Amino acid sequence: MKANKTSTPYLFLSPALIIYGVTVLIPILGTFLLSFVHWSGFGSFQFAWISNFTRAFTDSVFIHSLGHVLLYIVATLILEVAFGLLLAGIVTSHKSLNKYRVLFFIPVLLPTVVISVLWRSILNFDYGLLNGFLRMIGLGNFSHIWLGDSNFSMWAICLISGWNFSGFYLAIFYAGLQRVPGEIVEAAKLDGADEKTILWKIKVPMIRRITEIAALICITGGIQSFDLFYILTGGGPFHATEVPTTYMVQKVFQDQEVGYGAALAIIVTTLVVVVGLIFSRMRRKNQVSLEY
Amino acid sequence: MSRRIFLHGVLIVYSIVFIIPLVWIFTSSLKSNQDIFAKPFSLPIHLDFSVFIRSWQEGDLGRYVINSLVVTSISASLVLLVSSMAAFAFSRFEFKGRSKILTLFIFGLLVPIQAFFIPQNQLLDQFNLKDHWFTLVIPYTGLGISLATWLFIGYLDSLPKELFESGRIDGANDWKLYSSIAVPLLKPGIATIAIFTILGSWNEFLLAMLYIQNETYKTIPVGLLSYSSRHATDYQLLFAALTIITIPMVLIYLVFNRQVVSGLTEGSLK
Repeated sequence: MKANKTSTPYLFLSPALIIYGVTVLIPILGTFLLSFVHWSGFGSFQFAWISNFTRAFTDSVFIHSLGHVLLYIVATLILEVAFGLLLAGIVTSHKSLNKYRVLFFIPVLLPTVVISVLWRSILNFDYGLLNGFLRMIGLGNFSHIWLGDSNFSMWAICLISGWNFSGFYLAIFYAGLQRVPGEIVEAAKLDGADEKTILWKIKVPMIRRITEIAALICITGGIQSFDLFYILTGGGPFHATEVPTTYMVQKVFQDQEVGYGAALAIIVTTLVVVVGLIFSRMRRKNQVSLEY
Repeated sequence: MSRRIFLHGVLIVYSIVFIIPLVWIFTSSLKSNQDIFAKPFSLPIHLDFSVFIRSWQEGDLGRYVINSLVVTSISASLVLLVSSMAAFAFSRFEFKGRSKILTLFIFGLLVPIQAFFIPQNQLLDQFNLKDHWFTLVIPYTGLGISLATWLFIGYLDSLPKELFESGRIDGANDWKLYSSIAVPLLKPGIATIAIFTILGSWNEFLLAMLYIQNETYKTIPVGLLSYSSRHATDYQLLFAALTIITIPMVLIYLVFNRQVVSGLTEGSLK
């Protein structure tokens, strides 16, 4: 459609574009520029050229933080996405099982701070629920400072993350499975397929696109994760649960190495964007599944 | 049939494991510190609900709640207004530079918060915009715009063209087309987008922690965290605070659960 005046579309766009430009687009450019300087946040700065980047790739804490995030992503793909799919399969297999899903979504909408403080308390050495339970059943010897022990802290965070977010993926898969046409399921039933076969051989392949999106959200969200790590362990003990974002925040806001932090931000952003582009490529290739 | 009973059993056991942490904070907030430690699974003996009042007052929770309400309602309203206007322009008009500007908006769907928070912090610092009651409105509005615009475009594209053309024939100007035809028809979409924008700012932690140091303007997530370090040993008060924040959210969710779930998942299904 043509606007009354040629300026109208721009007038409609300008509030959003100005706010978005000032708060997001210009700062993105800023991150890029800052990654090439040494700067403490105030005063003068020196050009660093690519030394912030070469430093990142020899910084063992940063390299390890990438390893931790990779472990976290693999774990949450299983504990959140795969488990969410399994739950969605169970919940949709009969009407009477439907109502359980309401419960599993509750942690998704609570602030991560509530979740983290709650789990920090459960895993607390003295008054925590887990050690209390172990003492109660006579296994008090096994009580631990769970989050302070580098053998457990990473796994604890992965499990907590699973508890927190599996309901989100359950909801996504549930919405997808609901859209599988009833006739297809009926036809399979007439052919004598049982519910398990219908779920894994018919429904799950049909929601393949949603599965890909869920994996994409889990991977890109994982690379950016911050809240759980920061509040539960602060990246410790001894960097055992350091992830790129906790390290970045420490570098910029404690050590005042703004340029180095910006370089780390550029690396993380590049990873997220590359994963996003790979997935959208893949989607274009397999346009055979259900369209919504 | 037996299979169905088995599945019920599985879900019930899982639900119990799942819900114990949530029930535990509630019951523990009614127990003394010694009982929390010695009898973690016991039910509270004296039901003394005054602990919630004490926790509310000592933690100054009212302040955090008001700050969160102010920041969330203003940024959500702004996101809804400016994004629906932008989406209207993208969806209904042809104009020069349309696809380039649209690409800029879609780009925002892909980039993480890490891509911009360091310079954003410097900019806010430079213009003395940190530590005010409105500080967080600025980044939260910016954060919501991309996805909201994208979803609004989807809704608007699905409306029949004839509606707007007949409006034009009746003499409506561009603003009238937006405000009297598009907005009323967008209501279901507005609800969905409002929910994810509201929950997004209500729960946001990283930026709130970086941009607000002054106790007076802290929102719930950061306020709760500083409360938890101030009362690190008074578990009962801490659990009471968690309960106070959690219960209203759970109740609202139970009433509007379909809208809440679709609000949080729609963005990923599009």
